[in-house]
Amino acid sequence: MSRINTVLGPIAPEELGFTAIHEHIGYGMPGCELDTTWWKAPEVRYEETVPKLRAFHNHIREYGAGAGGYVDATGICNGRDIDYYKSLSARTGLHIVACTGFVGGDSALPFFERASVDYLYRQFRHEITVGIGGDTTAKAGIIKVGVSRGFKMKELDLRIYRAAARAAVETGAPIFTHLAVDTDPALAVFKEEGLPLDRVLFGHADDGVSQGKVKQDLLTELGGRIGFDTFGYDLELPDPPFWGRHRQDRLNHLLGFLEAGHVKQALVGADANCSPLGWPGVRGHTVNYIFETLLPDLRAAGVSEDTIHTIFVTNPTEFLTLTPGKN
Amino acid sequence: MSQVNTVLGPVPAASLGVVAPHEVLVSVLPGAQYAYDIRMDRAEIFHAVADKLTAFRAAGGGAVVDAGGMFAGRDVPLYEALSSATGVHIIASTGQMDEAMLGGYFLTPQTNPPTPWPAEKFAKLYADEVTEGMVVPRVERRAAAGLISTAVTASGMTPTDESQLRGCARAAKQTRVPLSFRAGADPLAELAVALDEGLAAERIAVSNAGDAAKPIADQGAFVVFADLDAAVQFARGGYADKTLVTTGGAAVAFGHEVASASYAELLRLVPADLTEQLLIRNPAALLAVREP
Repeated sequence: MSRINTVLGPIAPEELGFTAIHEHIGYGMPGCELDTTWWKAPEVRYEETVPKLRAFHNHIREYGAGAGGYVDATGICNGRDIDYYKSLSARTGLHIVACTGFVGGDSALPFFERASVDYLYRQFRHEITVGIGGDTTAKAGIIKVGVSRGFKMKELDLRIYRAAARAAVETGAPIFTHLAVDTDPALAVFKEEGLPLDRVLFGHADDGVSQGKVKQDLLTELGGRIGFDTFGYDLELPDPPFWGRHRQDRLNHLLGFLEAGHVKQALVGADANCSPLGWPGVRGHTVNYIFETLLPDLRAAGVSEDTIHTIFVTNPTEFLTLTPGKN
Repeated sequence: MSQVNTVLGPVPAASLGVVAPHEVLVSVLPGAQYAYDIRMDRAEIFHAVADKLTAFRAAGGGAVVDAGGMFAGRDVPLYEALSSATGVHIIASTGQMDEAMLGGYFLTPQTNPPTPWPAEKFAKLYADEVTEGMVVPRVERRAAAGLISTAVTASGMTPTDESQLRGCARAAKQTRVPLSFRAGADPLAELAVALDEGLAAERIAVSNAGDAAKPIADQGAFVVFADLDAAVQFARGGYADKTLVTTGGAAVAFGHEVASASYAELLRLVPADLTEQLLIRNPAALLAVREP
């Protein structure tokens, strides 16, 4: 029986619908919870978050593809808050898929930094098959891995990649990466662990700071999925982040990928925070950029409705469907 | 009269009685709270710690200092309930341990480049825990921290260790609570960093001092011993007013192996003629909030 894990339990893939593949309810580096600079009362968090999710859900209803999916890419230690996600999903009708794993070695606290590949694998497997944090309803639907700051894979990053690959092979959960740079060591790990690359989304291939550092052609040729998942971090914003990029450049990047015939390997998201946890966030950027700016841009560029459906419905559904025994 | 910041508010230093001056009540290796196979039952934790505090109280103990800092298991509401239930004063600490124990927020912030925190930011974070109260993360502030506690990497002080040690010393000077640090490879040089911030040596306790114990005490700082025989020898060698003792363990620990502490045993093992100096006068002198 095929299924996708959400914070409210597994759903049939047919229920998911239009999905943003790499988002954040709220992200912060480990330890930011100690600094009151960033604290907000829970009622403020809900006020900042619920309207964005509801608007996204309503856009999806108008579009006509299911309740919609919101894949949260906030790893263990980065402020992942399953109880909160459950309430948001239940109250907005949006399916929220939480991840296990880590944004990168930088985000793994000492307990996990000291852990073996085998322990990390068991942590990920438990969160996918049993539940997260003692909860047995909420299960992780995807595994997060990533490259530490500096664009160079560190030993701890790779230990996490290997553990994730093992958990993915066994549970059938997909993997998405923070950054698609320095992928040679990652490709070696995935090969050694026997993980097909269509179960891996190489994320943030489209961000401003990764350009020139991503072996996009190789990753595509090997069957990997490419993440155009920082849509909306435009340098045209009043106060763009350092990873921002010119809107038209990013759009052209995706259009080129589609024109080259790789629509089945494209996954798209906004990487926006509803309410950031340990940083100011980027004013004016929400997940709704996808409907309010990107889809009009794609249509204006002549992208067909079939292609849009493939990118935002078919691809995420196939990617997120657990394939135990097949990965 | 000098006051000491306890989790239930300030109390006169003279009222603490017998103090276990450098312990850890709840020790959590950062991240262990998210481990799939570690069960942290608050009721069990409470009772395990309460049993140790009650035994300490029955043996004549009056106060325990939790020197674990703000990011290694400290649970202020739990400590408040423990203090109320057992009648043992609990003094909790702010600060964080050596660089490897810090979260990415302090080491690789979301700036380009990801520059680790400078001393002044650590100073503010920790001073605020004294002047505004200790945090229950993302929920509220509670009572004032009574100690600022940090550590230097065992193999040698990293630049971030130094920033943090300076920040802690600065916060201690500003807020008038004492500083404690676990020394790394060069205790005297590390003490010099804290002194360089203008904090008086009398406001500093150094653990893991090794061979540097005497020169550290000669400068006026306290030395914390986990080896009781060494502590007794040091005290009897003319340093009784600079000697502090610790079990070196924790009441309960998660995610790593830490010896199980017994505060009653600590009190029992300190020779009777040294009890007043080591467990009453010295802790009161260190913990009293006063001019740096």
